[in-house]
Amino acid sequence: MQLRYVYTELGQGLRRNLSMHLAVILTLFVSLTLVGMGVLFQQQATKAADQWGNQLQITVFLCRNGDSNPVCPSAVTDAQKTDIEAVVQDNPEVADYHFESSETALGKAKELYGEELFSGDNPAITAEDMPQTIWITLEDPEQFEGITSAVQGLDGVSRVQDMRKVIAPILGALSMLQWVALVTAAVLVFAALLLVANTIRLAAFARRKEIGIMRLVGASTLYIALPFLLEALVTAIIGVVLAGGALAAVQQFGIEGRGDDTLKFIPWIGWDEFWLAAAAVGILGPLLTLLPTLVLTRKYLKV
Amino acid sequence: MIRFEKVTKTYPGHPHPALDNISVDVEKGEFVFLVGSSGSGKSTFLRLVLREYRPTTGRVYVAGKEINRLASWKVPRLRRDIGTVFQDFRLLPNKTVTENVAFALQVIGKSRKEIKDVVPETLELVGLTGKGDRMPDELSGGEQQRVAVARAFVNRPMILIADEPTGNLDPTTSVGIMKLLDRINRTGTTVVMATHDSSIVDQMRKRVIELENGHVVRDQAQGVYGHQV
Repeated sequence: MQLRYVYTELGQGLRRNLSMHLAVILTLFVSLTLVGMGVLFQQQATKAADQWGNQLQITVFLCRNGDSNPVCPSAVTDAQKTDIEAVVQDNPEVADYHFESSETALGKAKELYGEELFSGDNPAITAEDMPQTIWITLEDPEQFEGITSAVQGLDGVSRVQDMRKVIAPILGALSMLQWVALVTAAVLVFAALLLVANTIRLAAFARRKEIGIMRLVGASTLYIALPFLLEALVTAIIGVVLAGGALAAVQQFGIEGRGDDTLKFIPWIGWDEFWLAAAAVGILGPLLTLLPTLVLTRKYLKV
Repeated sequence: MIRFEKVTKTYPGHPHPALDNISVDVEKGEFVFLVGSSGSGKSTFLRLVLREYRPTTGRVYVAGKEINRLASWKVPRLRRDIGTVFQDFRLLPNKTVTENVAFALQVIGKSRKEIKDVVPETLELVGLTGKGDRMPDELSGGEQQRVAVARAFVNRPMILIADEPTGNLDPTTSVGIMKLLDRINRTGTTVVMATHDSSIVDQMRKRVIELENGHVVRDQAQGVYGHQV
């Protein structure tokens, strides 16, 4: 097949409908970026849920010296700890548990917030200030009331924290962001489809004479449709590259550069998740332009 | 070469068929005039040959193939055996004469060398030697129609279809185009020409098929435009 004509036509087509192609590219760029953001939010939510033990754990904080809770007159005693452990051990809802000392808790805090806060002659926080805890893994994350109420009233227990109360708002926010991104993306994808359709109609109209002659002299349908398909592919590739760049910028400057430093307790997504989002965008972009082009060239360029 | 067997074509939304149960046989190498008033079914006849439409009932054979059964992806190949000329020339205004003729070969994938050889030959045949670099708007109507004929014939089709090719031309120029079509016919190409031009039909003394309201009302071996012989 002689492709000289096809390439000439491709160049002419891109120049002739420049404003329409720009509109398609920009719409694709924004909608694909939002699709990619949706994927990233979803990955972030999964990662957070994985890290936080799938919300299976509850934490029992034991009384410490100077506890703000009035039910704690003094630090928990060893006898009280033995009683509490017995209750936890006997409870059928408990799958597993372990004690965590004040020192371990302080170590974790140092890891999270940095050494400086805890060192020097008069540190802000010492092991004394950190409560001892029991970390309980549940058999079934929905079954937590039994163990909570059983432990709650015992002497030496300051409070029982269900991790879901901490995580739920974060996961909720992530899930909301994900849906906002995906719904907006869906609307824009629809707009992109209409723009692609209009562009093809304009292009087919501008070239109706050539197309008519090509049909009469027996050019194959593929040969006639090829400039249209290549135009669609070029706009898709530019849209995908722009969206990929925007997502990479979000990853580099939004997450690697900022979120990582300030909100350390959240496990952030990395470049692996970025590539997943980029792949989704890279597949969706060409589909969005090529599918309507295939359908419409069949309609407008029917032999 | 072209064979209509009890062909009826009804357009959607029209109560009367454009062609009503017609049977026509055109042999290889024949020159046939298709005459009749506007709306008599001439254009429908030509479009059925090109398989722009399928018949509602009946069968159409072109070059030995039953084309109403032809898969649509095979239609382009069928059209490479048929050249087409129209009243309005249908040239590409932004291409030169040579490029217009070469276009027909380019888009069906002929090699550059073949195009280089065949196009000047064809331009010579239609009497446009030396005008290959002109743009269509620099040519007279007759010359433009010669370009269109060259484009239709450059692939050496078995059949040449001409829909009112002299409709936009003055009588003298028309005679030139008819001589050209006659010359092409003598190379063995079957020519089917729809026309309103009585003087041309009377002069040429070729086979005449007259259509009226979708029926064949006359099929005469060496006919004239009107009813009398």
